[in-house]
Amino acid sequence: MTITGPGRDTPPAAVIPFFAGGAVAFFVLCLLLLISPASLTTHHFNPHLLSIVHVAALGWGTMIIFGAAHQLLPVIFERDLFSPAMATFCFYTLTAGTALLVFSFWDFRTGWLMIGGGALVILSVLMYAVNVIVTASIHKRRTPEGLFIVNSALWLLLTVSIGLLLAVNFTYPFFSKNHLDVLALHAHAGLAGWFLQLITGVSVRLVPMFLVARSSKGSWLWYAFALQNTGMLLFIADGYIFGPVRWRMILYGFIIAAGIAAWLGYLYDAYQKRMKKRIDVQMKHTFFSFTALIAAVLFIPAVLFAEGYRWAVLYGTLLFMGWITGIILGKTFKTLPFIIWNMHYKNLTGKVAVPLPKDLYNETVVLWQYRIFITASGLLAAGILLDNLAVIRVASVAWLLLSLLYLFNVLRVLLHRAKAGGL
Amino acid sequence: MNQSEAALHPPEKEKAINALYSVIDPELFVNVVDLGLIYKVTTPDNGIHVLMTLSTPHCPMGEAITNGVRNTLEIAFPGREVRVDLTFDPLWSFEMLSEEGKRQLGM
Repeated sequence: MTITGPGRDTPPAAVIPFFAGGAVAFFVLCLLLLISPASLTTHHFNPHLLSIVHVAALGWGTMIIFGAAHQLLPVIFERDLFSPAMATFCFYTLTAGTALLVFSFWDFRTGWLMIGGGALVILSVLMYAVNVIVTASIHKRRTPEGLFIVNSALWLLLTVSIGLLLAVNFTYPFFSKNHLDVLALHAHAGLAGWFLQLITGVSVRLVPMFLVARSSKGSWLWYAFALQNTGMLLFIADGYIFGPVRWRMILYGFIIAAGIAAWLGYLYDAYQKRMKKRIDVQMKHTFFSFTALIAAVLFIPAVLFAEGYRWAVLYGTLLFMGWITGIILGKTFKTLPFIIWNMHYKNLTGKVAVPLPKDLYNETVVLWQYRIFITASGLLAAGILLDNLAVIRVASVAWLLLSLLYLFNVLRVLLHRAKAGGL
Repeated sequence: MNQSEAALHPPEKEKAINALYSVIDPELFVNVVDLGLIYKVTTPDNGIHVLMTLSTPHCPMGEAITNGVRNTLEIAFPGREVRVDLTFDPLWSFEMLSEEGKRQLGM
């Protein structure tokens, strides 16, 4: 019998700033939506929408994922994080880089400000990727979730590298390819390479853990890995070399969708075999987010073949505001309160009466957050589909309200002061 | 380990196990005994020794749970040396849940 230790916690500085920064970025994202709702009714390559998408992808999605990953990598790879110092430092470069990019895109100021922003983001991603790869390298067992997480970091590196080349190309044109075709590769390397594979890897560990469940479909995860990556590699290689041909894009989309189905099938099996029967509102966010992902995938033929801009904008909106946002809104209150609770109370448990992690945030606000999230998602999708600016404006107000509720609850957790008997 | 097994233990061991019913997993809201995290409790001279596990290796709440076990026993047995060892051999599984633990999880 091997005796071991519980493992060291990742230092708060490597986690907490990312949650605070992400919550502020989500508010900024919703504010920009309210300021520029018309950007959702035109071609997706417009300055305001580029700004909004980069707040969503880098300031919101990637920021929160970096923070959560620094906390979860030790759980997944069963060893301490390689470099908490690098993890802490990449918050500053990611924040500065994202701010420069968003500022540059808003009025489309090409040049060194935009290029500098892209370079800072690459620096952050390099530090994150080194932390992931070295932390994972000592792990004895090769698990599909570990492979997904390492691979997603490499896809992120490719995504931001293409992004920087695009920023350089605006000032010093050198691409022989159509700029919009390269933009599609950049966007999908981020969506299906980085976000999809990271979320797949983390969710197959966390969802069964939160549901106290075990799936017997472990082999499906290997299929998911093979299909998602085969589809993406073919999409990127074919798209870059020959340019996007619609029927081949559909084929690659189908391969990736099969990989998504294998992953969601695994989670559904775990859900059916769960020990914890009551599903909390945080997990409901997660399940709703999967619905948005499935809807986006089903709309791909419309994006490729239908006339007009609305399908492409709806596709991106479902992915960023429905899927990625949904999973973050729920998972934040499954991770952050525990991190802060650990900081304050891990040495006091059993000595004095201490609150539970769920007492650190307002559960009623999380419930309303869920209701408003569903309403805001539905309204925004309807506004885009109907090409109706008034509906998009109303949806944007709902999104702003949602972001304020989220920010309030995140700050409530972050600013929690220890309350324990005897203190 | 459940209530009926605890009843067979010598009084000190039973006292230790009863104290551990107050240590709650902060995520699942079930105590560590009914979760089946406590593998063995021994009461050597001047000491209490617990061999336990966590539901996941490198569980983010691991330190809080093991500290909870140690602190609870130090209060229940003042002046005695408390040792808490962690093992993942065997790994925790659902079968280790007591009937009460299953009930509290809503099964």
